[in-house]
Amino acid sequence: MASLPGINDVSQPLVSAGGDDELHRLVIKQGSEWKVEVSSDSRLNVKVKSGIAEIFGTELATGTEYTFKNYQFSIFAVEDVELEWRCPQLDSESLSITANTTAKYIYNLHFALEKMRSSSFEGPRVLVIGDKNCGRTTLCRILCSYAIKNKSYQPMYVNLDPQQAVFSPPGCLTATPISDILDVECSTWGQSMTSGATPLHSKQPLVKNFGLERIAQNKELYLDVVEQLAQGTNDRILNDSLVRRSGALIDIPPLSELDEDFNDLEFFAKKCKANVVVMLGITDNSTAEKIANKLSPLTGSHIVSLPELSGCLQAEDTYSRSLQRIAIREYFYGTPKTVLSPYAIGVDFGDIMVYRPRNLLEDTEDQTNEFLPVTVTANNLQHALVAITYADKKATPQIVQKAPLLGFGLITEVNEKRNKLRILLPVPGALPNKAMVLTSYRYLE
Amino acid sequence: MDKEGEIIVRDFTSILEELTFNSRPIITTLTKIAEENITYAQYFADALEARIDKCPPNQKLCAFYALDSICKNAGSPYTIYFSRNLFTLYKKTYLLVDNGTRTKLIHMFKTWMDPNDSTGGLSPLFERSALERIEQFLIKASALHQKNFQSMLPTPTVPLLTREIDKLTTLTNERLKSQPNDEKLKMKLVVLTQLKQELHREKLASGALKQLQLQLRQIFAQDQQYLQDIQRQNQQQQQRTQLQQQQQQQQQMSKPSATSSNGSSFIPLFGDNSNTGASLFGNSIGIVGPPNFQNLERSNQLSRMQNLYQSLDSEGLIYKPPKESIVTLYSKLAGDDNLTSNNADRQPEKNLPPIPVLTGILSDCKAYFATVNVDILNTPNLLLSQHIITSDNPVVNSNLIHLLYRAKPYKCNICGKRFGNNVQEKKAQADHLDWHFRINKRIKGSEITAGSNGNTTNATQKNIQSRNWYLQDSQWITFKDDEIVSTTFSTNQNAKMTTASLDDQTQYSSTTKTNEEKKNLGVFAIDEKVLLKKHVVVPESAEDMSFKCPICKEVVAGLYDEELGEWVWRNAMEVDNKYFHATCYYEAARNSTKAGVQLDLESLKHLVTE
Repeated sequence: MASLPGINDVSQPLVSAGGDDELHRLVIKQGSEWKVEVSSDSRLNVKVKSGIAEIFGTELATGTEYTFKNYQFSIFAVEDVELEWRCPQLDSESLSITANTTAKYIYNLHFALEKMRSSSFEGPRVLVIGDKNCGRTTLCRILCSYAIKNKSYQPMYVNLDPQQAVFSPPGCLTATPISDILDVECSTWGQSMTSGATPLHSKQPLVKNFGLERIAQNKELYLDVVEQLAQGTNDRILNDSLVRRSGALIDIPPLSELDEDFNDLEFFAKKCKANVVVMLGITDNSTAEKIANKLSPLTGSHIVSLPELSGCLQAEDTYSRSLQRIAIREYFYGTPKTVLSPYAIGVDFGDIMVYRPRNLLEDTEDQTNEFLPVTVTANNLQHALVAITYADKKATPQIVQKAPLLGFGLITEVNEKRNKLRILLPVPGALPNKAMVLTSYRYLE
Repeated sequence: MDKEGEIIVRDFTSILEELTFNSRPIITTLTKIAEENITYAQYFADALEARIDKCPPNQKLCAFYALDSICKNAGSPYTIYFSRNLFTLYKKTYLLVDNGTRTKLIHMFKTWMDPNDSTGGLSPLFERSALERIEQFLIKASALHQKNFQSMLPTPTVPLLTREIDKLTTLTNERLKSQPNDEKLKMKLVVLTQLKQELHREKLASGALKQLQLQLRQIFAQDQQYLQDIQRQNQQQQQRTQLQQQQQQQQQMSKPSATSSNGSSFIPLFGDNSNTGASLFGNSIGIVGPPNFQNLERSNQLSRMQNLYQSLDSEGLIYKPPKESIVTLYSKLAGDDNLTSNNADRQPEKNLPPIPVLTGILSDCKAYFATVNVDILNTPNLLLSQHIITSDNPVVNSNLIHLLYRAKPYKCNICGKRFGNNVQEKKAQADHLDWHFRINKRIKGSEITAGSNGNTTNATQKNIQSRNWYLQDSQWITFKDDEIVSTTFSTNQNAKMTTASLDDQTQYSSTTKTNEEKKNLGVFAIDEKVLLKKHVVVPESAEDMSFKCPICKEVVAGLYDEELGEWVWRNAMEVDNKYFHATCYYEAARNSTKAGVQLDLESLKHLVTE
């Protein structure tokens, strides 16, 4: 044993070959994790040789090479794990390997939820509350991944944070039954349905478009979209006994985006029928108490407060923006392992009808909160991501606002001289004769 | 009798001639010849009978042993042949031989009366009538013998009787040594000394002397018998001690370090063994006659081994490795040579699987035992409360956690999904791997389907794919994810409801309407496989043996179908004298929003099912 490389010395990774982009060997001791940041102009290849390692609760296959790009994540060693990695950017001398201090809480939490799942037909619906960068989504992702590991549960992941893109482009609220393992390489957790074969099972999300960047830009609209999503989710849960038993994990926007009286929290808990509350990294006792007081009439005593997750990274705004960009690209073009072929189509200005939600921070002159028609100009639409609804082109703004979402299009070119524009559609075929809603997101290919 | 037979019989006879002493090899050889050449049984029987009849009296017993051996081993027909003259032979022999030999003959006769294996374990060795006659003869003979015996005894004189009393005293003394507390024996000694004194003191009548002589003989015989029994017991005891010694020896062997450093400790053990062995054999020679000696030795060895094994087994000292144990694995990996060789420094490197594999096996075992009787429902301390979630829970840390990992020991090499050990899980694993295989094939593009489609390239073959439209709420609410994750589901993911339909533009809020829509789609969903099997025999009128599909504009060339013996267009169908790709036509008909779709689908359905 003593002669095995890396067994004795854990925090100091052994280097089999120096230099950039060489194959390195690394042993991560049980209970520790390797925090990795891979920038967009680099990539990291990782292959597990032996032992058990997981990324956000999803176990890595042994002997399979994973590739990561523009991603911040951590590899957690469930037991001593030996892996090979290769990355031109990372220096093998200065890897960030630290003990994970919160993993045990997550295990405790998971098995408590598991007990609820096996003792009732109504599974736990967990509302995860926390501030920015405290690991709300990470916790949800881990709990979803754990829930499907031992028994074939299908927990519903509900994302109410429009800044975050999970199984969809940004600006959306989504609800997705997690019916199979998540894609560890994807910040968007994996693929929504495609027309062909994907290496992992795709997921089928319910997607609602909010379209604005900040909730504050139109809180009324946001709450309306939340209600629509919650309605769909609850109906699905009623229809699907497996999902009902598996419960839901409800990921909400950071506390800083919500009101100070926690009325929004109460609204989320009520609409999503939450019966478990997990507070993350709320160190201020009075805040925690206030939240508990506000929510306990709805959820009962199932309120737990955990420290900030030790695996989470202090993501900067530029990183969040790059994730949003990736999510838009993935929606149309897929990933290197699942290449998608979108379809660009040229249409006349008159062929489309675009609305936009009111931005209360800018449009102050009007009191109503209806969708406004958008004049087709390069200024308004160039490089814009537009949501295509199920509502007919000629439908009223009210109908459009309540209509289900067909998908997204990307307006790549607006030619004002010829009154033509080019739209990138995910699905080949003619442009659906539907009303569109402009989002705040732009994507330049 | 043929020439070969003559030679064999001549051989048999000549070997028989050599049987002038009790020789096991010769008897074995004769038995073997008799066994292997049953066809000449008659001749062998004749030869053997002649031999018994004619040989000198001191060799007759050996010949009888040969007869005995042949009959016991070969059985019929020898038993039948010998039964005819058995009584005459036996009687003749008995009358000619000395008393010692007679006893052995009687002993042999007794074994004949026992049911024998060669006769199926039910009846005696020979015909009952022959044996009964011998028995009658022996009863008469022994009565006569008793009389003869008495008359044959030397005239009792005082010194002769004293000597006999002395012999008896020593015997009794011997017995007393082994049983120092036996009052009867002490009494016997006293009686014997008194008897001796009596003999010396006064002259007894010759009749009384004779009586005394007979009684003494009887006692002597009894004592001898008793001593023999004791010796046999001793023998067994010795075996037992030997056994213990061997056990000790084994225990020592199992500590290799002790063996190598303290090798000399074996020598006294072995020495002891050989000593006890020798004394044992000495004893047995004293008790049993030479013909039984070899048998005894063999059975001794056998029983010693069996005793050893049984006692070790009953003590639980014998470890029987199960089929899937590391021992079996090791011996398989190492081969037998390495187990016996002592080359210690070469073995481990060569034979042990890599450390990660071993630790993996170990961890799997641990996980199994940690979770084998775990039930989450009955586990305490799993409440959702602040205190319980934030404190260390030993059940979670040492038992439950394995449920997420090694409790399912088989990890998929492609995606890392885990599968358990029971039948269902194994089935799921097999399906899962099949699914990976199918998907991989589709991702890489299947050449087989490309070929059968006449070199056409369409989207599904090259896995050119795109994002689907999202389902509208009403569809999503009734959607079941099993449709995606089921690994045994039809490979055609586009079937039925996984895709959104653009048709119902205004009815998205009306659930009932969309359900109907869905049903329609369901009814007309036709398996792609069925479509691919559709073909049209190339009509005589076709130019270049090809047609152009009006939908995808692909030119389809004819292929020769060996089963049909015709030129066909694969994946093709004829509608209104036009030819289409079956798949294209189906797609078009299914996706069409025109009112005529219903009609088209009807006709398509008709075409496909006809």
